[in-house]
Amino acid sequence: MIALCTAALAFVLRGWLAPLVALAVVGATVAGARLGRSFVPFVLATIPLLISIVLINSFLYPGAHDTVFTIGPFRATGTGLTVAGQASLRILAFALSVAVFALTTPTDDLLADLEQRGLGRRASFVVGAAIQTIPRLAARAGEIADSQRARGLDTQGSLWRRVRGIVPLAAPMISGALSEVEERTMALEARAFSAPNRRATIRPMPDTKLERALRWLLGLATVVLIAATVTGRLALP
Amino acid sequence: MIEIHGLVHVYPDGTRAIDGVDLRVEDGERIAIIGQNGSGKSTLVRHLNGLLRPTSGDVLIDGESAADQRVAALAAKVGLVFQDPDRQIFAGRVQVEVGFGPRNLGLRGAALDASVAQALAAVGLASEANRNPYDLGFSKRKLLALASILAMGTPTVVLDEPTTGQDLRGVERIQGVVADLHAAGRTVIAVSHDMRFVAETFARVVVMEAGRVTLDGTPAEVFAAANWEALARTYVEPPLASRIGDRLGLGSTPTDGALVGALVAKGA
Ligand SMILES: Nc1ncnc2c1ncn2[C@@H]1O[C@H](COP(=O)(O)OP(=O)(O)O)[C@@H](O)[C@H]1O
Ligand SMILES: [Mg+2]
Repeated sequence: MIALCTAALAFVLRGWLAPLVALAVVGATVAGARLGRSFVPFVLATIPLLISIVLINSFLYPGAHDTVFTIGPFRATGTGLTVAGQASLRILAFALSVAVFALTTPTDDLLADLEQRGLGRRASFVVGAAIQTIPRLAARAGEIADSQRARGLDTQGSLWRRVRGIVPLAAPMISGALSEVEERTMALEARAFSAPNRRATIRPMPDTKLERALRWLLGLATVVLIAATVTGRLALP
Repeated sequence: MIEIHGLVHVYPDGTRAIDGVDLRVEDGERIAIIGQNGSGKSTLVRHLNGLLRPTSGDVLIDGESAADQRVAALAAKVGLVFQDPDRQIFAGRVQVEVGFGPRNLGLRGAALDASVAQALAAVGLASEANRNPYDLGFSKRKLLALASILAMGTPTVVLDEPTTGQDLRGVERIQGVVADLHAAGRTVIAVSHDMRFVAETFARVVVMEAGRVTLDGTPAEVFAAANWEALARTYVEPPLASRIGDRLGLGSTPTDGALVGALVAKGA
């Protein structure tokens, strides 16, 4: 929950301070939850994006003339550098918040929690199915690509070749997704998913006072700041 | 000829799926690979057409290292039929589906039509050539996937679990396909859990356990009573004919034919 709030905050806010605060919260969570090493790949994954943002904004920011330094024909502008720095921080804060969320929240916990809070079981099922489907789809896509490459599909050749390869790769993916939906529906009905009474929760969620307070605080801050942004009180650059 | 030397494969997550395999397959052999789920059979055969690359060791196809060749090039030498047909079927017509592989290998016109027709006839789907693959039942879709590799005319054909979902007639179809391939001098390698199919169809049986080859020989050798303990360790139960033959003190009789032959010989 904390992670989701910081993600939302990072997305909405501009300037220097806000993303730094969000990063600090993320950092504290990472340290607190002892995520350490498993967190590294996520940080690395954002690097290419950050580099391109910095390059493009620094050198190509439209209408900026406050040159700081030049490299060959390219001029880095002060405005561009500032924007680049802020944008990078925001993206970093956003990406890392999402990463913390993914690493710290087992799908089961999230779903049980959502349902306990009164989110309908259909809605929480949809959330859960969406999250769980991602790794399965990835595995399926890999198998399909292997099958077609074994039949001589060249996935490395010219652009035209790769374009021609789209149908053999995409069609089994789509038909597989469709038949999975059908199977799930039948399995769910067989387990009385649509039965009208409220389900008993077998596993109650532990929830300390501190956690609750933090959550409220962040939630409130998020709502207030989003509202402020939307109503135009907090200027967007 | 296929030669595998000291093959080790470790998946990115650290799973050591192949842990030192040496294997030599002569042209025209019929080999079944058996062993419990997770013993590394599928991982092993994916090295034969370059879909997986060795962590260490080498795979040679006709003397050339598979590691140096593209999958698209190896596809002309080793045809691999995957377990799940629904992960490859994409076309709206059976004929087009079967033509995909040979087309990728450069076949066109009459040669392409002939290879498609021949492959469909081999699996008994000639009359379904213009149907939509998704209208066929699972066992026919599985035969369709087999036909789509047969049509590529590769010197080696690898089948991963070909008999799952097939009734007796389907299994006989596949046995017929293996026999035809053998008669044409092509090499057939199959991964299977169906011991009766294995014993009746293949001349050589390779047993895998935890990423290694533990037994390798003819069905009569591998399914001999002396090996039953080793087979049980990798959850393989010898074919019924073997067990009956052993009970009757007839020696190793892994096939129905061997059992009947031994019975007749004893009675005579
Ligand atoms: N893509 C993969 N990533 C990680 N481990 C895998 C992957 N595919 C298979 N494995 C593991 O490798 C081992 C051998 O798998 P596999 O070759 O599929 O065995 P088999 O075909 O004999 O059932 C198993 O422990 C399996 O879990
Ligand atoms: Mg397998």
